[in-house]
Amino acid sequence: MRIGGMLAWQVAVLGLLAATPARADDMEKAKTIAASICVACHGVDGNSVIPNFPKLAGHHPDYIVRQLKEFIAGRRKSDIMVPIVTMVDPNDFKALGDYYGAQKPTPGTVTDAKAAERGKKLYMDGDEDRGVPACSGCHKDDASGNKRFPRLAGQHKEYLITEMNNFKTGVRNSETGRVMREVAKRMSDEEIGAVAEFLTGM
Amino acid sequence: MKTLLKGLLVLWSGCIFAQSPAPAGGENDPVWNEIKGEKLLTLRLKGDITRGAEAFEICQGCHMGGAKGSVSGSYPRLAGQHATVLIEQIVDIRSGKRSNPKMKAFAHETVISPQEIADIAAYLEALPIPPNLGKGPGTLLTRGKELYSRDCATCHGEKGQGNAAKFYPLVAGQHYKYLLREAHLIRDGERGNANPDMIKAIKPYTNEDLEAVADYISELPAP
Repeated sequence: MRIGGMLAWQVAVLGLLAATPARADDMEKAKTIAASICVACHGVDGNSVIPNFPKLAGHHPDYIVRQLKEFIAGRRKSDIMVPIVTMVDPNDFKALGDYYGAQKPTPGTVTDAKAAERGKKLYMDGDEDRGVPACSGCHKDDASGNKRFPRLAGQHKEYLITEMNNFKTGVRNSETGRVMREVAKRMSDEEIGAVAEFLTGM
Repeated sequence: MKTLLKGLLVLWSGCIFAQSPAPAGGENDPVWNEIKGEKLLTLRLKGDITRGAEAFEICQGCHMGGAKGSVSGSYPRLAGQHATVLIEQIVDIRSGKRSNPKMKAFAHETVISPQEIADIAAYLEALPIPPNLGKGPGTLLTRGKELYSRDCATCHGEKGQGNAAKFYPLVAGQHYKYLLREAHLIRDGERGNANPDMIKAIKPYTNEDLEAVADYISELPAP
């Protein structure tokens, strides 16, 4: 019994020793990729300072991996992003997702408080008469997202608006984006702007 | 003859989960809720509550957390509804048989698979039913009870509990405005997948009759 217990401990400790460096290696490698390939647009810590490019810090790793695959599959289109994604080994996608997911996200700045207030209402309650679902249903009240739905809190409003329009026009064509394409169609430009204003300040 | 038909119907309902049902009715007698194709496939799948909770996330923007729906009547409360009923309705909305333009796009096959429908149905059926939130004005309860006992209780049950095997929904404590909206659609032949027996039963109802029954049902406590 005692020997068995000791053995279990040894196995556990060995397991930890074996697992930890490998993971740290992955993180180091991901950081190197981030610092050499992604940094110009997304920042090394995933907090892009350029409004056209999304912040990645704090996204669920699985969500990041899925989007990278969507670019490869041609269901997300970007003249800038696609050539860059193809420079990355798909085997490193998961490490990149883990790396950016572990970074601390920074909030953006609200410049139109009234619009943000309108946006908050729509985000939390939707619009029943027109069948606009509450965004919070999927993206959560704090807009932190999860593995299926992206984090939106603190995201650049310019980027959010661009992507909503890409959903609206069908440019963003992932199968799982069908819900968003329908939601975007039901929202006016003014409403999309208001929700984006709210989210950027979260 | 009528008894024989009824007997056959009961027998047929009992067979749904084991076998494909034998088609019934001739050209002039369309079968309500015929169990075939995707509906049959989905009913045969085993729903998983944990997976269902995750799949239901995309429904929460409208049906709300806990599937409590909306007092405004735009979205029904789904918590505690029979899984069979939920499967029937989702499949009918997706195929366009039940007219529901708001939900149709969100019920598309690329949004929820048959397995996810089965999972969501299992999850919702097991959800605790929140207290009645969307009660009617409470002014027509006597009339409502009279009509309900006469015309509705045979299928939906004395307590509004419905009947899972026969695809009759649980209605007790549903939001008043939702009940009223659907009652109008059914009476006026606009719902698309309504049971012909129900259309016949409420065809003579005035708007006030519909209000009275909805008022009564919305007050019924969840079973």
